[in-house]
Amino acid sequence: MRDLLREELPLALPVLLLLALVPFVATESYIRHLFIIAMVYAIVASNWDLSLGYGGIFNFAHLSFFGVGAYTSAILSKTLEITPWLSVPASAFTAMAAAALVCLPVLRLQGIYIILVTFAFAQLVLQLILSQSDITGGSRGMVLLPPLEIGDINFARDGKFGYYFVALGLLAVSTLTMRWLVRSAFGRGVIAMRDDPDYAAARGLSVARQRLMTMILSAAFTGVAGGFYATYLRVASTKVFEFGILSLVLSMLLVGGINTVYGPIVAAFALTFLTEFMVDLGPWRFLIIAALMVLVLLVYPGGLWSIFTSLAPKRKSRRR
Amino acid sequence: MAAVLEVEGVTGGYGRIPVLHGVSLQLDAGERIGLFGPNGHGKTTLLRTISGLLRPWQGDIRFEGQSIASRRPNRIVDLGIVHVMQGSTMFRDMSVAENLRLGAYSARARPDAAANLERVLQIFPRLRERSAQHARTLSGGERQMLAIGVGLMAAPRLLMLDEPTLGLAPRLKDELAEAVGAIAATGIPLLLVEQDVQFLLDLTSRLLMIEHGAVIAEFTAEAALDQAHIAEMYFGKRAN
Amino acid sequence: MDILSSVLLSGVVLGSLYALMATGLALVWTTLGIFNFAHGIFIALGAYVAWQFGTEEGFGLGATIGIVAAVSLLAALGCLIERTLVRPFLGHRNLVLAVVITTLAALIFLENSALLVWGPRFKQLPPLVDGTLAIGGLDIAAHEVLIVLLSPALLLALWAFLRLTYMGAALRAVSQNQDAALMVGIPVPVLFALAFGISAALAAIAGVLLGSIRFITPAMGNEPLVKALIVAIFGGLGSISGTIGGAYVIGMLEAVCVYFIGLYWTPAALFLCMILVLLVRPQGLFGRVD
Repeated sequence: MRDLLREELPLALPVLLLLALVPFVATESYIRHLFIIAMVYAIVASNWDLSLGYGGIFNFAHLSFFGVGAYTSAILSKTLEITPWLSVPASAFTAMAAAALVCLPVLRLQGIYIILVTFAFAQLVLQLILSQSDITGGSRGMVLLPPLEIGDINFARDGKFGYYFVALGLLAVSTLTMRWLVRSAFGRGVIAMRDDPDYAAARGLSVARQRLMTMILSAAFTGVAGGFYATYLRVASTKVFEFGILSLVLSMLLVGGINTVYGPIVAAFALTFLTEFMVDLGPWRFLIIAALMVLVLLVYPGGLWSIFTSLAPKRKSRRR
Repeated sequence: MAAVLEVEGVTGGYGRIPVLHGVSLQLDAGERIGLFGPNGHGKTTLLRTISGLLRPWQGDIRFEGQSIASRRPNRIVDLGIVHVMQGSTMFRDMSVAENLRLGAYSARARPDAAANLERVLQIFPRLRERSAQHARTLSGGERQMLAIGVGLMAAPRLLMLDEPTLGLAPRLKDELAEAVGAIAATGIPLLLVEQDVQFLLDLTSRLLMIEHGAVIAEFTAEAALDQAHIAEMYFGKRAN
Repeated sequence: MDILSSVLLSGVVLGSLYALMATGLALVWTTLGIFNFAHGIFIALGAYVAWQFGTEEGFGLGATIGIVAAVSLLAALGCLIERTLVRPFLGHRNLVLAVVITTLAALIFLENSALLVWGPRFKQLPPLVDGTLAIGGLDIAAHEVLIVLLSPALLLALWAFLRLTYMGAALRAVSQNQDAALMVGIPVPVLFALAFGISAALAAIAGVLLGSIRFITPAMGNEPLVKALIVAIFGGLGSISGTIGGAYVIGMLEAVCVYFIGLYWTPAALFLCMILVLLVRPQGLFGRVD
């Protein structure tokens, strides 16, 4: 942990401070809104990197953990009238439970089968939500969720000032945790497992246990982000299960750079703003984004983050 | 005598990892050359580069005078250069007969497929017995026979065999040596990679020793070099 | 008895359509070792092209030309996608993932292109054959009979192509051992494109058949794609015959589920079945252990 703080804080802290200044400069709530959405995506994409990138598990159920988080918070805060301050963090636990569940079949499978099963799991969750319309509102979703409040300050009416800092706090804690995880002994075990499963197994690492841990850990902040997203937008809907969001977040991950944590975060901001600025183009913006995705993969197979790392002076090989 | 194959200062390898550091060799019509040397020093890489699976970084490879250094593998097979890979199972879910039929895929080999098939089955009678079996059910020796048989179906004008006796029992080894001898007797130029120097001495006229991605020594059968001498050199070098 | 027959019929119709789609997916998977997420949009584009060329609102050239255009244009599109979105990544460290993202990008690109070209209004193809047939005391729409007959006929033709022709054998050879295929002189890149082309052409036919049962929309292929995905898992991705078998099992299962437990719970039931099958037989229902 101390190493992490020494090596990465000098870079990360100024960025964090810069982000903290944004709401004071950008007084327009629309700009703040874009930042909040980008930060939510950044959390989802960078956490996905833990299972997909570092773990080498082709997990396509990640967005369903986000969805489970969103609905958990919605049901807790609206139906059971628990304060969102508790319902949002509680989303971590249901998302982690969902991750554990999807792991049951995944533990024994390989490669493409994992993609298909996790993908199917996401569809299963979607179907469950749709069919339980008494609890979840079915295809209409749940609306008018209670917002976050401190005393008299209602976060829904302060020009997105409060929400901005909650999102930033979440992103900071999540990023710190991810970086710490991938550099810890556990993280090195996960990477070893991905690169050489036989050797790792021979060293006494259990594939099943590692996969389970990786998936559950990657779901925690994703679930919280889902809960926060629902509370912030005051809506929980099945939109989060759509192909479009899946491919958007996946492209953040791949365009940003897999196995980097920071790459997906940068890409999340870039792609969120890019999509938003092209909103007037209608369907054309999707054509442009799709073409850009392929282009980046062609030119920078390691993702955009590889540009930064290739520019930065080579550090000691202890970093991984 | 005209050169069939000329390799000139070829460097190459996998990805960015260099394996070949300037290999040169020349193989004349009707000639049989044996390649030997320690593992991991470029013998297989050289064959893969000649057959177009790898692109040479520098240098040139010519077949009957024309450069083949940047051609696609299927074009190289069309010219008649056939590479039988080390320990290949060929097409595991196809019958032996179907495997052999695919050997004659190139347009040059197809018209003679029936005649070539008869020849292959004469050299390897076991393949006739196993004709309807799937390749994955064959034993190690039979797989090797199949791989060579498929290679012969392509009507080679230069045959490259990569360790055909790898991992085989002595009795099977003799059987294969006999078969390769029969193939050699038909006059097809051969480039043969083997660890077993005796095997090479029996079948080839010239031995090249490959180490660190280059040809470092050459022996001719006429010079009557005995096996012990080569082995001494070979293992002596390795011990250092 | 009557209800049972109609449940069976609907299962066979669904199975036939799934078989066309899943076989294409499996063909690409076995040959290239990648999964094509753009497969669903091939279905929609096949229907759109047939509509554009065939119907009176389009060019009005008749159904036959519409189908020919759909199949040939989609086959060409399949080859193009292989060339531009798959081939550059062969040998990539994360091939499977990279291709998932490029084919997802193709999906987004083509879906929105279809929206730009054909607009948001739903379209429909007229049935290829009109009227009903009385078979065994049941009135069956002739179009459904066509689907049930055409799909196995096409798959039989594909089987014959793979088994009996040099090129078909070469295609199987590439899927079994790429290096050995290169060494007998098979032009592997050409066969990669061929696999993609056949796969897209089969999807186009599925689209034409589906386009007269359901409305044509840019997203019409997504739901069948997910089903085809389950089929492919069920059948064990490696084998074409297993995939075809899986298609009819899933089609039947879906029809039975819709009838007995209703439309909402059917997908969930199918996914549960799939996960159960994978727990017991990770290589798929008809798959073989290597």
